[in-house]
Amino acid sequence: MATPGREIDWAGETGQVSRLRGVAFELACLAAVGVALVSVLVLLLYVATDALRPFSADPGWHLVFFLTLVVPTLGTAVYFYRLEEPAGEVAYATTGLPVVGILFAAALAVVLDIELVTALELFALLVATLVAAGIVVVHGRYRPGAALERLGVVVAAPVVTVFGVPPVEVIRALNGVLSLIGLPAVSGARLPSLRELILLSPVAPLEWILVIVSVTIPVAGALGLFVARRRENRRDGLAFVGGAVAATLLAPVAGPLLGIGSTGWVLAVTFCLLPPAVYVEGVVRRNEGVHGLAFPLVLVGGILLGAVLVRQFGFAPPDSWLDWQFLTSAHSRTPEDAGFYPPIVGSIMLLIVVAASAFPVGVGAAIYLEEYAPASGLSGKFVELVEINIGNLAGVPSVVYGLLGLALFIRAINMPSGAVIVGGLAVGLLILPIVIISAQEALRAVPDSHREAAYGMGATRWQVTRSVVLPQAIPGILTGTILAVGRAIGETAPLLMIGAAASVRLAPNSFSDQLPAMPRQIFAWSSNLEPEIRHGVLAAGVVTLLVVLLIMNGTAILIRNKYQREL
Amino acid sequence: MANENLNTTASTESQSTSTEDPTSEPLVEQSISVDSERSHTTANADTVIESRNLDVYYGETQALQGIDLAIPENQVTAMIGPSGCGKSTFLRCINRMNDLIDICRVEGELTFNGKNVYDDDVDPIALRRRIGMVFQHPNPFPKSIYDNVAYGLSVQNMDVDVDAVVEESLKKAALWDEVKDQLDKSALNLSGGQQQRLCIARAIAVDPEVILMDEPASALDPIATSKIEDLIEELAEEYTVVIVTHNMQQAARISDTTAVFLTGGELVEFDDTNKIFENPDSQRVEDYITGKFG
Repeated sequence: MATPGREIDWAGETGQVSRLRGVAFELACLAAVGVALVSVLVLLLYVATDALRPFSADPGWHLVFFLTLVVPTLGTAVYFYRLEEPAGEVAYATTGLPVVGILFAAALAVVLDIELVTALELFALLVATLVAAGIVVVHGRYRPGAALERLGVVVAAPVVTVFGVPPVEVIRALNGVLSLIGLPAVSGARLPSLRELILLSPVAPLEWILVIVSVTIPVAGALGLFVARRRENRRDGLAFVGGAVAATLLAPVAGPLLGIGSTGWVLAVTFCLLPPAVYVEGVVRRNEGVHGLAFPLVLVGGILLGAVLVRQFGFAPPDSWLDWQFLTSAHSRTPEDAGFYPPIVGSIMLLIVVAASAFPVGVGAAIYLEEYAPASGLSGKFVELVEINIGNLAGVPSVVYGLLGLALFIRAINMPSGAVIVGGLAVGLLILPIVIISAQEALRAVPDSHREAAYGMGATRWQVTRSVVLPQAIPGILTGTILAVGRAIGETAPLLMIGAAASVRLAPNSFSDQLPAMPRQIFAWSSNLEPEIRHGVLAAGVVTLLVVLLIMNGTAILIRNKYQREL
Repeated sequence: MANENLNTTASTESQSTSTEDPTSEPLVEQSISVDSERSHTTANADTVIESRNLDVYYGETQALQGIDLAIPENQVTAMIGPSGCGKSTFLRCINRMNDLIDICRVEGELTFNGKNVYDDDVDPIALRRRIGMVFQHPNPFPKSIYDNVAYGLSVQNMDVDVDAVVEESLKKAALWDEVKDQLDKSALNLSGGQQQRLCIARAIAVDPEVILMDEPASALDPIATSKIEDLIEELAEEYTVVIVTHNMQQAARISDTTAVFLTGGELVEFDDTNKIFENPDSQRVEDYITGKFG
């Protein structure tokens, strides 16, 4: 009850608190968002228009695809968003998974095509690794107590089966035995590894059969195990593997028919068909968002229908710079023949080197800093200093890392200038601090109560790290690494510093070949005398690079979302 | 830094006052009834854990001052006292969890089965395998229920029938009937009380001699709390249980022996639970128990 006579100072004309500054601040922030979005969008539109030249097509072409593709897909997307959110997620995943699969399959096809790794080598590697794993498992079963011996076996088994024994060791071991029984020492030869023995075999099956054995069966096996566990039925898993192999066995018929070759068919089935199949099975079984499965059908159906109609009416498609020819040929002086194939291959190989060098080093450093390094005292202060400076290293300009690569790898240890491995290592150094920081964050996100629980059970630090911390941190570590690697393939400055050639005619087929990289080629095109190359071909290159980046970041987001939901 | 974050465990006691079970407040003010049916055989039982003149420091701060007490075998020993009085610190000294805190320093003697656990030749990892621990907040791993219980068996490389041990431990923790059909489901889907019983099952799966419990029921509702209390009484037939609690009702209900710590990290009184709650020697303990101080 209001007491009469007491003035009300919280209503009416005079009783208002001023929000002027707050509103002004809000508007300023909104303007910042607008500027950021518009500038990026304008840039993307500008590049995409140059690359795809949509206005060179008949208006009818646009109309047909607008009606068959844009309207139905947008319609279904809006429907999912408004009425059935889980279906939208399913639609996103079922569209994204095959795209990522295609990228994977294409990368592997390129690797096989340039004979960076032959199918026989893959097979030999698989057999050697399996044998090594078998030895480790058998040893673990029969001598579980001998920790030091086990460590030796775990390290030695893969080395011996994959790399063989160096001659020095063979001679030493042989002479040791010989001197025991009183015979004179001999000079021995290198003991070849299991992998090399397989590679020596004079006859090998056809490439696609080897690919089925060494790629499809492991992938299908892993997915089959997952299916079997989820459906709690071993037979379903076996049926899945059987179906997968049966689908790949169609290769000699289906591959040439589609124009992707037998190996291409096997890879396509393995990476674009199997993972979505498992996902779709899960969706159907949970009966959650089943309508989302229609989305990829609408998408593909729209494209096919549009293509048929356009041909029927005779509408000319846009004369895009970004076409199949662009993706499969090398740079040329005539804009129409210029292509991007060697840079794409070079960037994939660069990625392999970057990931192989930065991931183990970065994650290892992060684990040490988070789990082992002392936190207090003088050494704790030192660790803190190291951590701060890792943060600083992340901000060092990339050209400086290029200089470091030049000095370290080319001048100091005489690697070939401009080689794939040099570029990869230099860029690997560049993203190393980012990998360390993101991995540290992922490790820090693991609650201490879980560590304590494990310590309380009498786990050693190594057991805590391996069985409690890492399983929880791996998704975060992977996400961070993928994002960092995504940044790596766009880096140009380090490649310029280590002397990467502007244009390379042939795709590299070993890690010491000249490195053609996407950003390097784009940079070279930007100063080409031919205006059509400067504008059109360059834009096509940029769009290709952006699409690759987009897919990588999409994958990272998918991984993160999936694991966040499970935790 | 993992180590740095663990430092906060030293201060969990100060936070726990706010999370303390609100239902315990009015009970404290009433007269406290002691479960007199339980037989108290403190005098006859063997001592498992004994501390003599134990001092603990966190950096410059002294957390425990000259603690002398003897914990009897196969009984429930409760530690009560206001926040920050060092009960949790004492508990964590027993299985050397305080080793994880860099700035923590322990002086004096703490024996387990007659051997000083702070001797140089003691492996804290091996010690913790004999002394299980249950924490204030349920902390199951984000793994399946089965894997949670089997975790200790795998880290300790125990050569046992894992399925049988998991079943037996869950039965002992009074959880088997509730989870037997969902052993492969994530432990995080369980309710808070079920998670805490799972943590107890995880601790007893490796068959320790002693189970330390750091306010195991303070984050739970009264029904879940009473289940945990029943469980503790059953566990005491097989194991030595040391429990830190804020809830004096709880200490009176389940413990055979009670240690009262008061501010400053000193042990004020250590005696039979009946005696502590009915006729304490110290005026300060009586004030604390009746709620005049604390």
